[in-house]
Amino acid sequence: MANLKEIQRKIGSVKNTQKTTRAMKLVSSAKLNRTKELAEQSKVYAAKITEMIQDIASTVSKHGESLDNVFFKEMKNPKVVDIVFVTADKGLCGGFNSQTIKRVNFLLEKYAADNVKVRLRAIGKKGISYFKFNQIDMLQEISDLSAAPTYERAAAFINEAVEDYIKGATDKIIVVHNGYVNMITQEIQEEQAVPVDASAMAADVVSTSELELEPDDDDTLLEALVKRYLEYVMYYALIDSLAAEHSARMQAMEAATTNAKEMVDKLSVQYNKARQEAITTELIEIISGVESMK
Amino acid sequence: MKTMKLEIVTPGGVIYHGDIKQVTLPGEQGEFGVLPEHASLVSLLDAGVIDIETADNKEILVAINSGYIKIDENKALCIVDGAVALTDEDGSISDNIQAAKDLLKSAEVSSTTMANVVGKIEAIGR
Repeated sequence: MANLKEIQRKIGSVKNTQKTTRAMKLVSSAKLNRTKELAEQSKVYAAKITEMIQDIASTVSKHGESLDNVFFKEMKNPKVVDIVFVTADKGLCGGFNSQTIKRVNFLLEKYAADNVKVRLRAIGKKGISYFKFNQIDMLQEISDLSAAPTYERAAAFINEAVEDYIKGATDKIIVVHNGYVNMITQEIQEEQAVPVDASAMAADVVSTSELELEPDDDDTLLEALVKRYLEYVMYYALIDSLAAEHSARMQAMEAATTNAKEMVDKLSVQYNKARQEAITTELIEIISGVESMK
Repeated sequence: MKTMKLEIVTPGGVIYHGDIKQVTLPGEQGEFGVLPEHASLVSLLDAGVIDIETADNKEILVAINSGYIKIDENKALCIVDGAVALTDEDGSISDNIQAAKDLLKSAEVSSTTMANVVGKIEAIGR
């Protein structure tokens, strides 16, 4: 027979856990609302600047202009690929981090098979500790950006990668993050930052005339524009990832609270049974005692 | 008369979206006007005022600090860091003139541009 005291203690402990998970859920949902607002605000800008860049890229490729700009030159066989990925600083959010890590691992294997050197640029404690544990080197790591993204720091982070790209140290930059879709869904987003992918644009939207630039030393204008674009892509990835993290954590904590409730119910039944058993035994003892006195 | 689409977007959201007949923009190398059927162009924008003539003949003014514009035959997409609409959709002057001045001040433009823009803003104010 299970000890009554023991069951009671267990129920108490599970109830405490339930309190914690419920509180965490509430915190996450409050944070999610704030982040969601931020994400929606910057979503339009992110979408439009992407549209602009892709528009330029496809106009350039359609008219076969020799736009002598590194950002628009498609590398046939990239030798070095940089992967920038975003994970959370904290756990307890279901499969949120492991999904991103899984995708990064998949990319690592894919490029390894093609003999391409991959360099990792990590954002977020969870991803960093995973790759550290597996003894995979990271080129760049930053651990307190994903919880509180600011434009300046996001820009500084991606600019290091862009400098490398301009210098020719890398041929391609990919950004991977787990993005927010709605309250219950997160989706892995993988975006090729540079070189700008012209194929993503529908051909019929492309303008018929040749592209003109003003001021026409194209390096300053396009470089500034593309840098701006990349900074924003990075910033938006961080915000999107943060929103996804909070929604994932909300879900995980909700599930944990429900589980705890079920467990309390089960334990209560067990406790009642044990209590009944104890009473019955006691009664039998008293009765048999009385009988023997007769 | 032909019209084209114009969109002005800032990190804070869409400032203007609609059909227009003509738009005058503060380009890096001087002000320039754009009509529908304009050839493709990408340009850097300086601090200043965007003057829009909408399809239904209303004049809308938007102050910006800096940004880029991509023009096609039938659409123009303007991406700016900060913008303040000086006139409302119906053409009346909104009370954003002070906000626009602050925006330009924070952009740290040269004094001549500043004077030029302030003059323009005040001309609307009257």
